[in-house]
Formats: sequence, structure tokens, C-alpha cells
Amino acid sequence: MRELRIAAVADIHLGEDLRGHYRKKIEGIERRADVLLVGGDLTRHGTISEGRVVAEELSGLPIPVVAVLGNHDYHSDHDQEIIDLLRDAGIVVLDDEGAVVSVDGVRLGIAGGKGFGGGFAGKCASEFGEPETKAFVRHTKEIAERWRRALKDLDADHKIVLSHYSPVKDTLMGEPPEIYPFLGSYMLAEAADAEGADLFIHGHAHAGTEKGVTPGGIRVRNVALPVIKHAYTVYCLNGDDC
Amino acid sequence: METPHYVAARVQRALAEDERTTELGIRVDVRGEEVYLRGQVSCDERRRQIENVAREAAPGLRVHNETTLVEVREAGEEEHL
Repeated sequence: MRELRIAAVADIHLGEDLRGHYRKKIEGIERRADVLLVGGDLTRHGTISEGRVVAEELSGLPIPVVAVLGNHDYHSDHDQEIIDLLRDAGIVVLDDEGAVVSVDGVRLGIAGGKGFGGGFAGKCASEFGEPETKAFVRHTKEIAERWRRALKDLDADHKIVLSHYSPVKDTLMGEPPEIYPFLGSYMLAEAADAEGADLFIHGHAHAGTEKGVTPGGIRVRNVALPVIKHAYTVYCLNGDDC
Repeated sequence: METPHYVAARVQRALAEDERTTELGIRVDVRGEEVYLRGQVSCDERRRQIENVAREAAPGLRVHNETTLVEVREAGEEEHL
């Protein structure tokens, strides 16, 4: 089986003022990667016009593009419209589901979505008390369950989880610990560890660090643009020759 | 004089919630009559807007815009997992 080259980035926060800038940086990406994964916060305010800029910047590439939305993309309550226009532009958008892309006969399965917060084991919110608190925690719990099922259903040679929120604390180092519960949840890691994956990609934590690992041993990479400081980073999933 | 702690909180909220900025990652420190803004932004226009919103949220204080521009470079080296 050949090696798979996964390009990944998150938090590109595009808008009219950045039209054309990101595209220039990813021209020729097909020489370096087999697929591009984009981990949410595609826009600044989640407006339809910003969504159009994203669609223009990411469409028509010679390699498949798979994306999820982030919290910014929900801000104007046009998340569904943004998903639709990205899909119309040929981008695979995961909304708590899985998809398989084929690269020279190698099947790469990607499952995920926006994700959500709640915190990390031992220091996290519980589904207890006021309805608002319960709804917050339940939202993450339901997402994690959908991801677990999506991962299980993927029929692929390699599996990746693509998220906006973080599954672990490791990649939040640099962020104030007080806001960790708003940056991710251990439940996302638990879902991935239950079914297994080769890699977990996320963004959201602009001041975090790139590399971490789930309790079950899945490599985690925070690819927020301010963290990786490059248009994308390439991760190679080894084939027989590595 | 207003407690610096609350001024910083108000500026930080304004930067997150104002439609001109929607920046969640800007650190705001207030020392006396000085406001310091730190963090990374993606273009000059966004940096200017951050300063404008902070000035409006902290009238009468001196705003020091110490945010830095993120230089998005071409893709770097690969990592083999």
C-alpha cells in the first residue's frame, strides 16, 4: 500500500479582506499532498458572503478537500447554507458523519465535524443542574456518539478524525487553562479511541501547540494557522515502504 | 478610576463580540491608564480594527497595539507518522 500524504490546516478565517491570499499559498499542493483537510473556522463571522470566499479559495484543486465548520462559522446562523455552498463547490463537508476518499486505490476514511467543549477528564462539566449546563454537556456527548458510529461504519484502509475542537489538553498548552473547557472535550478522544484512528486533526486553539496524543495512543495534531504558521502541514501515513 | 480588571474584561468581550473584530484570541492587559493588546492577527486591516474597537471600549485610556501579523508561509516539512 502506498504512503498517504495528508495536508491539514484550520482557522483560516477567510473574508473579503483576504480574498485570493490563501489560494496563492496552496497552489501546487497536489505535488505535496494527496488530500487537504480543513479543520473549521473557515470564516470570521459565518456569513454567506464569507462562505462564498471560502468556496472560491478551496474549490477546483486537483486533490480532494474535506472540511468541517468551526464555532465562527456558526456565528450568523448560516451554518447550513455555508455547508451547502461548500458542497456545491465540490468540497466534502463533514457534519458529524464520515466519508471515504480514494487515493490511487487506497481508501482514506475521515469522520468528524465541529465538535464542542466541556473540558477534560477530572476537570470537566457534567450533565447535571441547570438545563443550560445539561444542554452544553449533552451537545458534546451526542456529537461524540455520532462520531463513534461514523468511525465504526467507515470501510477504509486508514482513518482520520477531523474536528474543530480539541480531544486532548496536550495541544492546548499555551492557552490559559481556565478556558480549556471551551476549547475541547475528552469525549471526542474517547470516541476516537473506542473505534481507532490513525490521526486526529483539530484547530480552534490559536495559542496551543501542534502535537499531542489521545489516552488510547492516537496522534493528535492542532493545525490552527497561528500554530503551524504555514498554509498547511503535511502528515504522511505510512504505507508498506515506510 | 475604574478597576483595571473590569476594563480588561470589557475590552476583551468587545473584541470577541464586535462584528468588526470577532477576535477571541487577543490578550488584554490594563496597567493604570495603559491598555496592552497582544496576540496574532492575519492582516493589517484586522489589526487596525482591533485597535479601534479597543479604544472605543476603553475611552480615555492609552491603547498599545502590540498584536503581530501572522505570516502564512508556504507549506513546511512533512511529518511521517
